[in-house]
Amino acid sequence: MSVVGAFCVSVNRELCINAQMPGKCAVCAEVCPYGVYALDPFTGMMHIQNYNACVGCRICSEFCPVDAIRINPAESEYLSRFPWTLSTIEEIHHKAQTGDYLLSGFGTQQPTPHFDTITIVPSQIASAAPRDKYREECDMEVVIGEDTCEKPLRLKLPFVWAAMSYGALSKEAKLALAISAAQTGIATNTGEGGLLPEEAWLSRGYADPDFTQKEWDPGGYLIIQWSTGRWGVSADYLNSGDAVEVKIGQGAKPGMGGHLLGAKVTEEVARVRGIPEGSDALSPCRYYDVQTIDDMKHMVEFLRDVTDYQFPILFKLGPSRPYDDVSACIEVGADAISIDGLVGGTGCSPNVVTQGVGIPTIACLPPAVQALKDRGVHRKVKLIALGGIRNGLDAYKAMAMGADAVGFGSAAEVAMGCRVCYACQKGNCPYGITSQKPEFRARLDPVEAGKKLTNFIHACAEEVKILTMLSGHNSISDLSTEDIRAMDLNTAALTGLKLVGYERPLSMWEDGFTPAALTRDNGK
Amino acid sequence: MPDSLGSAAGFQEGNTMTAINAKSKKLKVLSSLLKESLGEEPVEVTNSKHLNGVAAGYKHGELIIKGDAGDYLGVLNAGATINLTGNAGKYIADNMTAGTIIVDKDAGLGAGMYCYGGNLVVRGDAGDFTGTMNKGATILVVGDIGAEAGTYMLAGDLVVVGNAGENFANYLIRGNVFIGGDWETLGNNTHVVPLSEEDIEQLRALFETYEVEAPLAEFKKIVAASEKPFYQ
Repeated sequence: MSVVGAFCVSVNRELCINAQMPGKCAVCAEVCPYGVYALDPFTGMMHIQNYNACVGCRICSEFCPVDAIRINPAESEYLSRFPWTLSTIEEIHHKAQTGDYLLSGFGTQQPTPHFDTITIVPSQIASAAPRDKYREECDMEVVIGEDTCEKPLRLKLPFVWAAMSYGALSKEAKLALAISAAQTGIATNTGEGGLLPEEAWLSRGYADPDFTQKEWDPGGYLIIQWSTGRWGVSADYLNSGDAVEVKIGQGAKPGMGGHLLGAKVTEEVARVRGIPEGSDALSPCRYYDVQTIDDMKHMVEFLRDVTDYQFPILFKLGPSRPYDDVSACIEVGADAISIDGLVGGTGCSPNVVTQGVGIPTIACLPPAVQALKDRGVHRKVKLIALGGIRNGLDAYKAMAMGADAVGFGSAAEVAMGCRVCYACQKGNCPYGITSQKPEFRARLDPVEAGKKLTNFIHACAEEVKILTMLSGHNSISDLSTEDIRAMDLNTAALTGLKLVGYERPLSMWEDGFTPAALTRDNGK
Repeated sequence: MPDSLGSAAGFQEGNTMTAINAKSKKLKVLSSLLKESLGEEPVEVTNSKHLNGVAAGYKHGELIIKGDAGDYLGVLNAGATINLTGNAGKYIADNMTAGTIIVDKDAGLGAGMYCYGGNLVVRGDAGDFTGTMNKGATILVVGDIGAEAGTYMLAGDLVVVGNAGENFANYLIRGNVFIGGDWETLGNNTHVVPLSEEDIEQLRALFETYEVEAPLAEFKKIVAASEKPFYQ
């Protein structure tokens, strides 16, 4: 886990304009948000004054006109002195000097069991023959709330943008997500930070507030998040979208509420959230107005009533006890359940929570699917997998494990230009994605970033299509665990998937699932 | 109904006021009836205790709820005036943004949470966590108030005529808390200050509006010690 001093900035002095002609170029110092570079006012020479401040965002190399800068892992990072690595030492020094625990953004940096150790089994002669990707159709539509509400969500592709709030993300990034949702027919999510007025029309494909000028087809959906902080929430807010998502938790910090540090609460963020400018927006970890599961049931009832029984109600869970949590969501009347794994992202959270709390995404899915099956609602109540979904391959595997759709959060940020420097909480994102500072936000054009996101979604959709059809299906809803195999014992043990070669689940999974073992009191 | 007649008088004379008996009705049925009948005239609802989330998110109209109410009465209220003649369940006026809700008797746990605006008046006692995360509403409790009242208030006013429980106004960020009686313990980040002239005027106006008799001289004001408290 890198804290400080993990990166080495090297400048090729033969290429560097400043090294050749001091004073002629200072782009790196101008763009670096962390003060790594300093220009000597007398000589005009550029110095690297503070290696330790570099977070590895690579904005300097991006802006360097002659491509002279390389950011590499620092030499010490190669020296394995486990468990006393350089970053561990720096972390302890930080705590000793300040008395503060570390905060980090983006997500976990720990190696975690993930989709990579799962492989796909294609169709050959013994199973249904493969479909022709180029000349046959593949049904990718996902409908949420078909039987329960008047206006179900009809996602053209099995994807959603994960909930990321305005405040954590810049306005430009939020609008880019809305535009791409409209261009691809998927859904974007307000997150818990209130609604930007533009999101409402852009996400549906309109360029104006009156919904007269249709700019993008096919037009997407807007999921309105109802969360524990209730920032900027009113009856109108709930009715301005196409679905309401009740946030219980998130993958990167299950059991904690949202953190938005005062540095990112600008005048506009404060207005949208309805709070004083510059104050930390620390959402409560639980709903103060829900004490029991019955209260939650009533909450779903009044949310349906306020929205005139038109919209589906979604739930978002962090990775905790998926079987029990999903069962509870079904009990209270959810139309879809998003389950976010340990690999899920965050704008800011305590480092220990991001790194060490929750269970991996691949381990969330089998119990969640089992809970849906045990109640006879699998593929009716939709399951959306979140947490480290990077491409069509991950999406396919999640859907084969039983999810109906997947959400992209971190991947969306990367698609917009993020270089994954794990410093979202600082509010200095030089790519303008997770910053509220005007100079950084100016680098992100919503329409251009929206196009990138659209391209990314289309590419992922094609990937899912290729994989679905080569495994002999022409609808993503036909995917099953038979289409994938675990490639190692660990994954087979975690997921209950058949192990390659062994061709059956490990014997520990023979009796299937024992939900009682998953309950808090261990079935007693 | 002529303006000169109060709603109660109108009811007694049996004139045009709509009355809805919610007995064994489901929320969806009651809400569609309410939506049809809400207008200039007040609407009276009886036997709604078994329902939760009655009158959610109405922008206009006047409701008189006779008897006790279930949980989440007037949740997300956006402008309606609701008068409850009995006791309120949990979370009355949750996330209200505008309008007025008056409870003639007691309110349960968590009255007036997450409100952005509007007025909530509880003529009896109110439970724990009343006014939690208030972001702009005026909440008046004429009786006593439970523990943790006014937790993490970001704006608005919480006025308690009686006494308060433990951890009163815990982690207050902004907004004002006024109390006529005593508290058991005061929460973090709080600071007791004397009432200013404006405060006294404001309270007097509030008490006059809702016809509450309270000894103004005994009121204390609690504000945040810091707008940016240190969270550990």
